[in-house]
Amino acid sequence: MEAWLQNKAEEVNKITEKQSSVSILQIAKAVMAAFMGIRTKSDLENDAATLKPVHVVIGGIIGGLVFVICVLLLVQLVVRN
Amino acid sequence: MAAVHGDVHGHEHDDHHPSGIMRWVKTTNHKDIGTMYLWFSFTMFMVGGFLAMGIRAELYQPGIQILQPELFNQFTTLHGLIMVFGAIMPAFVGFANWQVPMMIGAPDMAFARMNNWSFWLLPVAATLLVGSFFVPGGAAAGGWTFYPPLSTQGGLGVDLMIFSVHILGASSIMGSINIITTILNMRAPGMTMMKMPMFVWTWLITAYLLVLVMPVLAGVVTMLLTDRHFGTSFFNAAGGGDPVLFQHIFWFFGHPEVYIMILPAFGIVSEIIPTFSRKPLFGYSSMVYATASIAILSCIVWAHHMFTAGMPTVGQLFFMYATMLIAVPTGVKVFNWTATMWRGSMTFETPMLFAIGFIFLFVIGGFSGVICAIVPIDIQVQDTYYVIAHFHYVLVSGALFALFAGVYYWIPKWTGHMYSETLGKWHFWLSMFFFNATFFVQHFLGLAGMPRRIPDYNLQFADFNMISSLGAFGFGLTQLLFLYLVIDCIRNGEKAPQSPWDGATTLEWTHLPSPAPYHSFETPPIVK
Repeated sequence: MEAWLQNKAEEVNKITEKQSSVSILQIAKAVMAAFMGIRTKSDLENDAATLKPVHVVIGGIIGGLVFVICVLLLVQLVVRN
Repeated sequence: MAAVHGDVHGHEHDDHHPSGIMRWVKTTNHKDIGTMYLWFSFTMFMVGGFLAMGIRAELYQPGIQILQPELFNQFTTLHGLIMVFGAIMPAFVGFANWQVPMMIGAPDMAFARMNNWSFWLLPVAATLLVGSFFVPGGAAAGGWTFYPPLSTQGGLGVDLMIFSVHILGASSIMGSINIITTILNMRAPGMTMMKMPMFVWTWLITAYLLVLVMPVLAGVVTMLLTDRHFGTSFFNAAGGGDPVLFQHIFWFFGHPEVYIMILPAFGIVSEIIPTFSRKPLFGYSSMVYATASIAILSCIVWAHHMFTAGMPTVGQLFFMYATMLIAVPTGVKVFNWTATMWRGSMTFETPMLFAIGFIFLFVIGGFSGVICAIVPIDIQVQDTYYVIAHFHYVLVSGALFALFAGVYYWIPKWTGHMYSETLGKWHFWLSMFFFNATFFVQHFLGLAGMPRRIPDYNLQFADFNMISSLGAFGFGLTQLLFLYLVIDCIRNGEKAPQSPWDGATTLEWTHLPSPAPYHSFETPPIVK
């Protein structure tokens, strides 16, 4: 159990290092993949290792707003014609 | 951590839990509470089913035979409320109580006493709801959506319904907080989020949805209450309010509620299909993402329930497009289940039959949902039997079939006994036949214009209504077979091995004997 905890602590340290270098593009890609419901396993594992939950939550909220705006723009386009 | 669990639930206590009725009243054990949730929901399923039989008996032929219109309206209203809040939702919470701790390697739920409290609120709420039939004026009769002005005009029955919804909402919120905390904090070492079984994932997302929308429901029924008794005019146009405001707030709760009832069903099916296909779930990560996506989308489509209530074209188009887009992540799920079965070593035990029945019929319900989402069609079919057919395909052959599948799948672990496979198969095929006999013809009735919530109808609808009623009686009787089967399994079933299913890989099958011990995973397993 202790060995496991030590390994876990090392893992967490590594993840924290990786998480500090996460790009907005990567968050956007993860959120877009979530909206489609499709994601490759390698990308997902990369996301799990580098993204913090707070990134995904904020990304998700912004993504939701962008989605609503896109649908509204589409509706405006249809109604204008 | 192991030491702490050892102190609280040491082996010496294993056989010394309280016995008799107090075991159930005071229990904080997730398995006991799960069992109570399941029996409670089955009882309410029988009560709601009795009301359904009343509705179908009245609609067996044109004219008023059995129920006067006022009582008929009470039956339809309480049938909906009881099935949604008393049967389907508590049944899934029962599954969560039994399965979530065992599937993530936790010893119990995070807040064990709150778990007891959230269960024991339910019988109180159910008593208020069912008891409302016997107060002056009878039960609420404005439909399960209790739109004003009908709900501001009703009698004492409406007040009892409002209090009942408050209590049920409090119970659901407590249950959800418990599930979220358990999943986030009590996973066994090595059980990372992306290793969690799909059932756990779907419940995590469902619990967040519940925490988001149940307060909205509580708020709107409170506004209704103050409109009724404290002189406010939230929904009264004469006082400067707007009845359509109610519809917006109600459906902001109501549409995510649909997904609250179907996402855990997706989770159950996602456990069963891989087990009986003897293959891992195809596209596990896509399934997780699709579930999250459905949950997000479910919060921005509510007004598709109110296309005819008066809405600008821009609003109608927005909600139509957004609704139709939900078909994308839902389609991802259906394709993933199909791909899981593709070239698998499939066997067709009862859980698998119900899971496949679920996919087949849920897809029909999903497609009729897309049809209802199209504004020009919805204007024709809203408030007709087409809508009734649509949501029964989603909630009966969707949520209920998944619940049956889950019971057959996990009952060996819960009771330590196998159910009768022969009776299980009879239950499936009879349910399948009678369900479709009841509800498929209602599509035709709806397209022909038969309105919902009306006890009488034109002669032209007579034949299909007779078929539908006969189907409903058959479906109702078939569920008594299920009750017999469960009791027979508990009393006389053959002893179940640790894992009766070849392909089962989750912790409750790989680490725990059947029946699961009263206290499991006191020392957490290490997941690799």
